[in-house]
Amino acid sequence: MKKWILFPLLAALFLSACQKTERTTEYTPDESMRLTIYTSHKEEVYMPIVREFEERTGIWVDVITGGTNELLERIESQQDNVEADVMFGGGVESLKAYEHCFSPYVVGSSDSIREPHQAEDAVWTPFSALPVVLIYNTKLVSPDKITGWSSLSDPIFRGRIAFADPAISGSSFTALATQILAGKSMDKTLATLAENLQGKTLSSSGDVLNAVVDGSCLVGITLEETALKYIAAGADLAMVYPEEGTSCVPDASAIVKGAPHSENAKRFLDFTVSYEVQQMLSESSYRRPVRSDIPAGESLLPLQDIVLVDYDIDWACKNRDVILSDWLFYLKEAK
Amino acid sequence: MKYRLRNSFHFRLMVSFLAVSLIPLCLCSALLVQIASVHMNREIKENMKTDSDSMIVALDDLALGFEDVGKALQNNPVLMDALTCGLAQETQIYNVLYEAAGSIREVCTLHIYDLKGNPLFSSHSSPQPQKLKPTWGVLNAARTSGKASYMGQTAELDSEVALLRAAFVLKNQQTPIGYLVMEVNSDHFKQLLNGKYGNQGEILILNQFWRPVYSSQQLLFTDVAAQLRSRVLAGYIPEGDNPDYLYSITKHDKTDLLLVQQQPHAFNHRTLHILMIVSACWAVVCIIISVFLSIPLSRQISSPIGKLRSAFGKLEQDDLDVRISLDRQDELGQLAIAFNHMVNALKTNRAELMENQKELNETKLRMLQAQLNPHFLGNTLDTMKWISKINNMPEVAMMSTDLADILRFCISGEEFVPLYRELEILERYIEIQRIRLSDQFSFQVDVPEELLGHPVPKMILQPIVENAILHGLVGVERSLIRVKAEKWQEEFLRVTVTDNGRGIPEEMAGKPYSRETLPDKHHLGLYNVHMILKLHYAEDAGLFLDRGPDGTGTSVTATLPLQTAQEECEC
Repeated sequence: MKKWILFPLLAALFLSACQKTERTTEYTPDESMRLTIYTSHKEEVYMPIVREFEERTGIWVDVITGGTNELLERIESQQDNVEADVMFGGGVESLKAYEHCFSPYVVGSSDSIREPHQAEDAVWTPFSALPVVLIYNTKLVSPDKITGWSSLSDPIFRGRIAFADPAISGSSFTALATQILAGKSMDKTLATLAENLQGKTLSSSGDVLNAVVDGSCLVGITLEETALKYIAAGADLAMVYPEEGTSCVPDASAIVKGAPHSENAKRFLDFTVSYEVQQMLSESSYRRPVRSDIPAGESLLPLQDIVLVDYDIDWACKNRDVILSDWLFYLKEAK
Repeated sequence: MKYRLRNSFHFRLMVSFLAVSLIPLCLCSALLVQIASVHMNREIKENMKTDSDSMIVALDDLALGFEDVGKALQNNPVLMDALTCGLAQETQIYNVLYEAAGSIREVCTLHIYDLKGNPLFSSHSSPQPQKLKPTWGVLNAARTSGKASYMGQTAELDSEVALLRAAFVLKNQQTPIGYLVMEVNSDHFKQLLNGKYGNQGEILILNQFWRPVYSSQQLLFTDVAAQLRSRVLAGYIPEGDNPDYLYSITKHDKTDLLLVQQQPHAFNHRTLHILMIVSACWAVVCIIISVFLSIPLSRQISSPIGKLRSAFGKLEQDDLDVRISLDRQDELGQLAIAFNHMVNALKTNRAELMENQKELNETKLRMLQAQLNPHFLGNTLDTMKWISKINNMPEVAMMSTDLADILRFCISGEEFVPLYRELEILERYIEIQRIRLSDQFSFQVDVPEELLGHPVPKMILQPIVENAILHGLVGVERSLIRVKAEKWQEEFLRVTVTDNGRGIPEEMAGKPYSRETLPDKHHLGLYNVHMILKLHYAEDAGLFLDRGPDGTGTSVTATLPLQTAQEECEC
């Protein structure tokens, strides 16, 4: 008896609760006017570029942010159902490790891009060049104590060197490879550094700066752009280009293989290396433009005044596993 | 629950009351809330529409005002001198700017930039204008599009910086000489839109790519804008079914800005909560009323039913004196009266039945007495027959033969016999009587063929005929006895025995037989026949006494149903 009383009651409630859920609206952009970007850049870096790109092209950009490796893994896992069009950001070594997920594209203005920053197979397109530097706490270390990679073996820094785990941080791996190339023998370099680190590494590249600023470490290994940003913000930091030579490996962008909006992705890549964007970059950040026709920002030492090692990206990529396993071995020894 | 529902009338009544009161209450509340919310939301939406329209007008005024300033400054010689030759006569320039800015001066800051993006003059001394890049952003857009361009500027809602920038290329004889730039910050927006949307409403302005430009509330600027954008990108209606807020989205064509208004729903969680509490209170009231109404009502019904039940119980125990006294006029009262009537009738019936039984028993007793040792009599009669034959006394032999036949007929087990058998025995009896009375009367039988086989209770004719011979024909010469059988009214068999004797007393003639009216109480024969008929056939049957057809003599009619007799015989 009660069931048939309840039924119309429930039906009435259900009907009253039901509301229309429609798809498609007048505001939704056409599929041809969309672009999905995965980026590991910070908002202050990508947002002006994305907004300007939208205003200029009328293309709606959907930005998805995350860590470099996290995003690359996502791209790899989506191979059957590609969502991302462009991977924007991340060191070229990281991108190269996921080479199979990207399709090559030669940007329109490739002639204007500095030769050393160009990818041979055009899988990636450089965005900005980021030399590896040494930093130290100006309150705790006198400037003459640190001049280059060899200074890191000084016993006074023993156990107080801030260095991120190269297996996690791309820039940290670049720094490690740079040291190997600047030194005489790979094993000696790795062993010396591991020993003076006393087997301790930091879990992220962001921690390096903090460790040096708060004095828990005396020196650190990081990227020029990061160091300068902290220095400009008033931290007690100073920066040194290693005298033995450093590297200037760019971060880059790449078009995802099978990208649903590949034409728009190409336009975006063109835009990232356009004169306007590179100029804006050099004026508003501490990143070095990759175009030869734009000088580095005023606060940056010109590239020709910095001692550079002959950094072979392909070599670094190929030997990544060897370097990292050796490094792990020496790190364990040093503990 | 189910058990109680099935077994307790009171509980069932209460549940029904609850259902009758609660279901309409719930439905009504739900419906009212729904209707009211739809209605009020529609009203809010209409208000938002008007608000949006007035805000669009305000934005239009701003954009048109800005373009008017641009046009007013076009080909202006003072400006041309200042921008091309660096001949800055500041007061003149400011005058020009003031004059041109006019109505929009309150809601924006106007700057004049040179072609390299350096700010030269401003309509307000603060904030300090920023250097702009002619190849980037709004200046670039204005230069390439050739008309006024509008651009949202920031990803943060900061009161210090310009949120919206508009640029317009200033030309002198088709040659660009600089830019007119309008900056709108959050204070300006506040002033522009002040009072144009509801008290509880909030405003969010988005650019054409649904990125936030301005908002009256930080949360809208950061979170809601991002949600709306992701919904638009996913292809859903941007505002969707937000449980808390209603949105209205209007596009401003000139600037490509989207005006998003947010208003809380007519019924938010709090008002809904209050309504729910009110409904719940009413429900409690309904429950209390239901319980209190159902108790007396169920008692009113169940107590008479209980009385009725116990009365029936007593009735089952054979107590016929049970009566129900209910002081009410409704259906239950009538039921009680009907019950009482029924018990009364049952009691009367019972009494009658017992009376009948008693009489039947008496009759049976008498019949048994009458059958005393008949076999012995039969054998004796046979012996008498042989002795008389040997002694050559034919009359005695005949009489004893007839008597023996009659006796055997009497003691045979059958209760019903065909009419012809009855008539045969009657003949025997007449033979005896002839010998006794020396043949002083004649005897006639008039029975149609079809009725001869009809079953009748045995020995009903003999007592009537005997009665006629013994009482009616005493002292009558040429006396006659006639037996006649006929169908009467198709349903009855009538057997009439007529004599031409003394006749019956006047007070008995023309009436059914009644023992009381007979002067001589010893007419046991007629009485017996009458009782046999009554016992077998109930009221329909019986004896009827009358004078003969010519006014003399007696006629005794036995009436018995045709049908019933047949049936009983077949049984």
